Amino acid sequence: MRVALLITLLVAVVAWLPAPALATAPLSVKVVAEPPHVETVLGGRFMITTEITNTGTAPSGEILAHLNVASIEGSVYVDPEDWSPDRSQQLSLQPGESRKLSWEIQAVNAGHFAAYVVVVPFGNKVAGNEALVISPLVDVDVASKSTLTAGGALPVVVMVPLLLGLAAAGVVLRGRRRGQDR
Amino acid sequence: MTIQVAPPAVGTVQGVRAGAERQSRLLVVAEQECRDLWTSGRGLILLFLFSVLLSGVTYLTSTNQALNFLEQRESVNLVLQFAVAVGVLATLVVSADGISGERERGTLETLLVTPVPRRSIIGGKLIAALSLWFATFLVSIPYVWVLARGVGILGRALALGFCVGTLVAIGLGSIGLLISAACNSNKTSIAASIFLLLILFAPTQLPSGLPQGWFFEVLLRANPVASGLAYISSILVEGHGWTQDLALLITPLLTAIIAGGALILAGPRLVRLTRGVNSE
Repeated sequence: MRVALLITLLVAVVAWLPAPALATAPLSVKVVAEPPHVETVLGGRFMITTEITNTGTAPSGEILAHLNVASIEGSVYVDPEDWSPDRSQQLSLQPGESRKLSWEIQAVNAGHFAAYVVVVPFGNKVAGNEALVISPLVDVDVASKSTLTAGGALPVVVMVPLLLGLAAAGVVLRGRRRGQDR
Repeated sequence: MTIQVAPPAVGTVQGVRAGAERQSRLLVVAEQECRDLWTSGRGLILLFLFSVLLSGVTYLTSTNQALNFLEQRESVNLVLQFAVAVGVLATLVVSADGISGERERGTLETLLVTPVPRRSIIGGKLIAALSLWFATFLVSIPYVWVLARGVGILGRALALGFCVGTLVAIGLGSIGLLISAACNSNKTSIAASIFLLLILFAPTQLPSGLPQGWFFEVLLRANPVASGLAYISSILVEGHGWTQDLALLITPLLTAIIAGGALILAGPRLVRLTRGVNSE
């Protein structure tokens, strides 16, 4: 009886104690990005596709694929949100399963850039020390383009307000002169 | 405003012509209102300010490097949306002055003693307010042309702007006249109308990066201005067909029907003399 009581007490104490931090298993996924190189012009829209495969033997759990864009030449300021408004996609994969994700991107700066997708674990069970899985870089070359020029728009931009201003002034002045005549 | 109209037709013989006469009276009021708007210079000054704004936006779109990344279709869309929005604002401001302005200037009494049905007065005022929308649309044509040439969307952009803008202008013009008829003071009427327009434009200014769930969708679809502008974008930028997003035009259409209907039904009761703001 005493032994049983001791064992029960021991089990209760062990259960009450916080569980020791387990070493987090690395994400067993592989990310492939297509195409490896994109050439476009400023304002051009293009699509990159990533295939994420669960290479492990256990379900991946909730994971998040996140697109990022970085300038790899010069000092061009990059705001990835401008490049793509939907940059995160949540998924979970069974062992051996793979999923293709499409990312619609618009080139909003001219220069040389790298687009890549990083896969991170998702949810409230994330410990914070998990390793990330990153796709190979997609090399993005954006040529500058000037579709509209000041020269083309200038005649309209100047002439229309000028003509309307003259017409308005003429009508107002004529109205005042008539008022004075009366 | 002073109107000279023949006395109304009385008796069975003239009864046949009553409809035609009612229509002609509407046109007489509309003509007089348009003359007031355009020969006083008020309409032309508004058009001049409109063209200055549109010139600024067009110049920025075509020269500014930060905006130049936009595709040409997006530039056309930006300027067209701006033209529709400001054109509708001008229409609303003019219609908001319609009845309360006459009350405040003391000219409503003269107007009411003329042998013109009150519905014709309201209809004429709405037509005059809409004439400003048509004028702003005409002014915006060269701006749209300069941005859309070479992309092959000029005709589509102009047809879209005209149809959607006219629909929204009829709805908001009617609302402006209803507000104007209900207000004693012109300042209150114009302030209320502009405030209403700001509320309607607010959802169009939300950043595209924000999460857009069902609430945003409801907000967009319930708003005649935002849904009208979204319809323009869906065709010009996203390349959708004319019928694909037709549901976006339900709210502008309903607004035009409901507000226009309310104006026709309640208008005769609303256009009346009230105690002025200075008579207390």
